[in-house]
Amino acid sequence: MNIQLNPSLNTETKTNIALPLSFILFSLAAFITSQFILLKNGDMIVQGIFRIPEVWMAAHLLLLGWVMMVAMGAMYQLVPVVFLTPIWSEKFGFIQFSISAIGIVGFSLSLAYYIEIAMFTAGLTVLGIVMFLFQMWKTIKKQASKNILTVFVGTALLCLLLTISLGILLVANLVLNNEIMNHFALLKTHILLGLAGWFTLLIFGFSYKMVPMFSLSHGYTMKRSIYVYGTYVAGLLFGIISFWIDNEIFLKLSFSLLFLGFSFFVIHIREILKKRLKKKLDRAFMFSLVAIIFGWILHLMVMLNVLFFDLSMSFIGIFTYLYIFNWIIFSIMGYLYKIVPFLWWTYRYSEKVGKADVPVLKDMVNDKLGVLLFYSFSISVWGVALAILYSSQAGFNLFQGILTILSIVYGAAIINVLRQYK
Amino acid sequence: MKNLTDQIYDKLRTVIDPELNINVVDLGLIYEIEITKLNDVYIQMTLTTPGCPLHDSITSGVEAAVVSLDGVNRVEVDLVWDPPWSPDKMSQEALKKLQT
Repeated sequence: MNIQLNPSLNTETKTNIALPLSFILFSLAAFITSQFILLKNGDMIVQGIFRIPEVWMAAHLLLLGWVMMVAMGAMYQLVPVVFLTPIWSEKFGFIQFSISAIGIVGFSLSLAYYIEIAMFTAGLTVLGIVMFLFQMWKTIKKQASKNILTVFVGTALLCLLLTISLGILLVANLVLNNEIMNHFALLKTHILLGLAGWFTLLIFGFSYKMVPMFSLSHGYTMKRSIYVYGTYVAGLLFGIISFWIDNEIFLKLSFSLLFLGFSFFVIHIREILKKRLKKKLDRAFMFSLVAIIFGWILHLMVMLNVLFFDLSMSFIGIFTYLYIFNWIIFSIMGYLYKIVPFLWWTYRYSEKVGKADVPVLKDMVNDKLGVLLFYSFSISVWGVALAILYSSQAGFNLFQGILTILSIVYGAAIINVLRQYK
Repeated sequence: MKNLTDQIYDKLRTVIDPELNINVVDLGLIYEIEITKLNDVYIQMTLTTPGCPLHDSITSGVEAAVVSLDGVNRVEVDLVWDPPWSPDKMSQEALKKLQT
């Protein structure tokens, strides 16, 4: 008998569940804590004063502790399955987690209370991120055939490396009180590469895997992704140049290209979804799709502002806040609501498939609560943004208070998935 | 009494893709089943997408389900990506379930 027309592929890509879960649980704690700190500092925030130590602490807990750590955890889970290659070293991954977690907590605290040790804690944070980059480089290097997803994720990782390198320079500038280089150009490049380079390109890359997978889309073309990549990355490059040479035309060109790239992405995702077989999409997944619309609107808003108005500090602050929440965090929250049940199902029930009845994934997470949470998050985030815009302390306290409660409920909903022991 | 091939297909209908809630036979994931004289079973199958997070679970589930049948000796699951899975391999019931 000879039925092996095609040799079996090595598909042993399971990751020790404790590794991604460590990142995810840490990130949820950081998310909740950051919301408490923001609530506590409402009086300064509504006055448009963002550059104060406790807000820095909250911002870094939010961006490094929550968003980056959850992205790392998701990558430990997704990279092996998306790129069909196992994680290079799980042991190294656990060490990387410990260093990153200590570094991020220490760095966030030192920004607010112990600025004199910020260089040391920042160093630990950077070490954790560099270890993560090394782990990913070793893992993705083994991928048999590279594709456009590799290019998106690879560029996102490169942007992360540049972001943290610039972050170190920023801290050095602050601590040594020495203008090593143009501080604002450095800060703007740090923010652009961190938010649009690292997070957006990462979400683009993984969306190209998860959107077709969760909607069961087939027969679509990936050609348009090249235009998405080329246009968006060109926008990033022009943006960086404009910051350093202080050129308005380059700045306008940059944000126009970023908007165009994002628009190509929206059109492409729409085309992929048109080819879907699964008519009724899961609500959590739809929240990630709604985040794409939010992201597109925000790119449009900032482009119009750059083209036709002078950017005010309050607009930049509110826009950055909305970009982080409505695009980056909402994308991650939607996907996480899908990824964690996958993770736990694989751990709890993988061995039981074919031997006993096992639950389906949608039964493992509270979908109705998810809908309520996602609507409430959307309203509250815009409520907070408007409260800052109109300097309303009462409005800020109300919506940020709701946001803090929602972050706790979201964390509990995720942890509740892990309590299933059927 | 059904023959062993039919029994295998029946058994595989108990292996469900937990994301889609459809069994692997109706999804059209099973390409070929062959049985030797010694009742060793070779199953050639695919998945809806190469980067499916559940591929280890589903392939090991297929193996576990078939090996549990009386009379089956050894089971080998051969996961292939060529030819790739396409929607026309699904049963009408599965397609209908996805589109409601």
